[in-house]
Amino acid sequence: MKGRGLFFYAGIYLLFLYAPIILLPIFAFNDSTIIAFPLSGFTTGWFAELATIDALHDAVRNSLFIAVLTAIFSTLLGLCAARAATRYRFPARGGLMTLIMTPLVLPEIIVAVSLLVVMVQLLDLRLSSWTVIAAHTLICTPFCIAILNSSFQNLDASLEEAAIDLGESRFSTFRLVTLPLVMPGIIAALLISFTISLDEFIIAFFLTGSEPTLPVYIWGLLRFPQRLPAVMALGTILVALSILLLIVAEYFRRRGVARAGKEDSGGFL
Amino acid sequence: MTDGARHPIVSLRDVEKFYGSYHALRGISMDIGEGEFFSLLGPSGCGKTTLLRTIAGFEEVSSGHVLLDGQNMDGVAPNRRPTNMVFQSYAIFPHLSVAENVGFGLRRSGLAGDEKARAVDEALAMVGLAGYGARSAQALSGGQRQRVALARALILKPRVLLLDEPLSALDKKMREQMQSELRRLQRHVGITFILVTHDQEEALIMSDRIAVMFEGEIAQLATPQELYRRPVSREVADFIGVMNFLPAEIRMGSGTAVEADIAGLGPAAIDSAQCPGALRPGRAEVGLRPETMTILPEGAPGEGHVAQGVVAEQSYYGDMTYYVVRLDGVDQTVTLSMKNRIGRAVLEPGMPARVSWDPRALLVFSG
Amino acid sequence: MDRDARRGLLLISPTALYAIALLAAPLAAILLFSFWSQDFLEIDRTLTLKNYREALTEPLYRLLLWRSLLISLAVTVVTVLLAFPIAYFVSFHVRPGRKALWIFLITIPFWTSYLVRVFLWKVILGFNGVLNTSLIGIGVIDEPLTFILYNANAVVITLAHAFAPFAILPIFVALEKIDRSLLEASRDLGESAMSTFFRVTLPLAMPGVVAAVLIVFIPTIGDYVTPRLVGGPDGLMIANMIQTQFLRLNNAPLGAALAVVAMVMVSVVALAFIWLNRRWLGGDGR
Repeated sequence: MKGRGLFFYAGIYLLFLYAPIILLPIFAFNDSTIIAFPLSGFTTGWFAELATIDALHDAVRNSLFIAVLTAIFSTLLGLCAARAATRYRFPARGGLMTLIMTPLVLPEIIVAVSLLVVMVQLLDLRLSSWTVIAAHTLICTPFCIAILNSSFQNLDASLEEAAIDLGESRFSTFRLVTLPLVMPGIIAALLISFTISLDEFIIAFFLTGSEPTLPVYIWGLLRFPQRLPAVMALGTILVALSILLLIVAEYFRRRGVARAGKEDSGGFL
Repeated sequence: MTDGARHPIVSLRDVEKFYGSYHALRGISMDIGEGEFFSLLGPSGCGKTTLLRTIAGFEEVSSGHVLLDGQNMDGVAPNRRPTNMVFQSYAIFPHLSVAENVGFGLRRSGLAGDEKARAVDEALAMVGLAGYGARSAQALSGGQRQRVALARALILKPRVLLLDEPLSALDKKMREQMQSELRRLQRHVGITFILVTHDQEEALIMSDRIAVMFEGEIAQLATPQELYRRPVSREVADFIGVMNFLPAEIRMGSGTAVEADIAGLGPAAIDSAQCPGALRPGRAEVGLRPETMTILPEGAPGEGHVAQGVVAEQSYYGDMTYYVVRLDGVDQTVTLSMKNRIGRAVLEPGMPARVSWDPRALLVFSG
Repeated sequence: MDRDARRGLLLISPTALYAIALLAAPLAAILLFSFWSQDFLEIDRTLTLKNYREALTEPLYRLLLWRSLLISLAVTVVTVLLAFPIAYFVSFHVRPGRKALWIFLITIPFWTSYLVRVFLWKVILGFNGVLNTSLIGIGVIDEPLTFILYNANAVVITLAHAFAPFAILPIFVALEKIDRSLLEASRDLGESAMSTFFRVTLPLAMPGVVAAVLIVFIPTIGDYVTPRLVGGPDGLMIANMIQTQFLRLNNAPLGAALAVVAMVMVSVVALAFIWLNRRWLGGDGR
């Protein structure tokens, strides 16, 4: 009885969660410049329009560049920290990990303005894609650590000892045993940080230079009502892409869990 | 088999290990002979696993030395030591097949591909897993994982095989089967096995010699028989098998003769050789194994030493019955075991019992 | 220092140094900056409390700070209250094999374009929006509802949506950790299902609820997209002002001071919450 009430509530809640995502393709294919009901007719024209906007293509290219490098850097930094935290005891371990994980709870605007102050006012650097990459790497690293931590924790320490015992060096043990077993976690970390960076707006808005990222470009478009249907089309493509990426990430995460021979407890975070 | 005649393959010299201020190993010195089945036995936290990992090279000694085949192992990494290990969790690589697991250590052996494959097949056959090579390591049962771990370690022909509680994850039947198999395998390959276990029965069944460890020290190093019959201290006697302890008053006689007045059992003349530790007159404790006592049948003539009592508890094991008998006149009980034979009645709690005992079975522990 | 400690420190040092250089140092810089002042483009490096005086006395800033705090609190309460039953449902009423799928379903919307998502709430909540047309269509209301767009309510609804997975996941993890035999023990000892929930389940889930509260409450104060898009003039928050000071008015020191004040404000509230929670429950907030 209680379970059924909760199930009903869960259904409503999912509708609340998915409402914007369900509406997105509806308006993307709606043949009207006004984003409201009633719908007028079916068109794929807004998608075609996307192909003609050069500034959009530049923004996409720029965002992809930033997201790929962010994914690589934050996964590498995450690997170091996750491995150190799960494998070794060392002084100030708790303090350092807390500092590294802080961006998870820090308001993004604080990260944005503090980096802006340092880079522009104090170091007199020119804002560019690299300043965005630096900031995105900072905020994506904790997510990578969260994923990689569980990969390393699922790894039985005696597996590495067994490889060393059987004659392998520390390095070849990492290559032959550790890396294959945490590889699904690494791929999931790459995909998650790529997705976060691609979608991040608050920090990018402060730190982007003359070449806007995709979200910064979209923010600009939101001021022009005639551009809104194209934004809906763009959003539809982005949603489809992120869902695809997430499914791939989830697939690798589960395979990692299965590979380490563990029960699945679900969830990224 | 307490042979210093065997060539010592593992020698420990004053090995000490500290974790911060915690003293995990305290001055361990001993030799383990070539081809010996040796057990490190003790309760959890006694340092037996630490000692095993010190021999393997996973732990560094704080002071002292580990010698393998006469070579000092100071600073020698685990992958450069002539030892291999069977881990408690077996540590079977989940991303590799059974054959890849077993052949893992052959990567640097310089063997050609088909030679490796043959070696893997032989090793699998040796542990009774012939034909399992292509299987996924994850599809194996606990007993099979254990065999893979054994084959993987033995394929490298180590001088010493280290086994860290290898049977603790198995159920009782499987464990008993693996105990005799391990013993047979060890005789077959002739390699020194060092087994860590907290199960005294397992150690007694399998080992040539056993080192009993308490709190980082070796309490006694002996063959299973010696250990059971002549434990050097009350702690060892208590840890190995079941032992009844009764307070006694010791008086020294002439020569090796000793007089003991035992609570509930009465006086007995014994020999000082029955006292493994230092023998002092005055208060002491005597130990008596359950199987050295018998309950006399109703009306049987009481020869030698007989004590009167009442059955307090009875546990029926099928082949044996264990009785706890409350001795008359004192607040003391003794546990004794009787083989169940045809025609021998099983006594129930509350029934009177006459307990026959033999002074030659007594051990005296001065306090 | 032993070998393990050296290896651990060496291994974590790239990440730690990165965090020190790009997080700890900039945070220290913003604190320092807030004590400087700016006149047009000139930065005056003499230390002054002028920015703080302005931040705390100027009625507009006071209003924005106060409103931001209230909105953040409202968002937190709404988000966590809405999230708890979902986490409870997934943990207790979903087959173990299906839990990962449910968590996956809950996290998906969070990973999809934030800007577009917020913008769509404007479409949903607007005068001629999806909600109003639907409600009028099925005859629930006659006039479009106007209290749901361009005000604080819209901000709360939109942010409750944005932070939903952040609230659900920690509570779900805490609920998953509860040994189910504890609940059976409580029932066995004579408690009803309801009192078992309040005496056993809820106290054991509290660490997750605390984590959810903090992970929603603290970042909410720093959002300027949602207030800008759906908040209208009465829904603007302090982050909008910080953004304006930095990017439009070129008064970075005042912006820094506002940021520091906002952070101190949420930190104090967060610490007070943790402290109260420990006192009340006598727990250690694990």
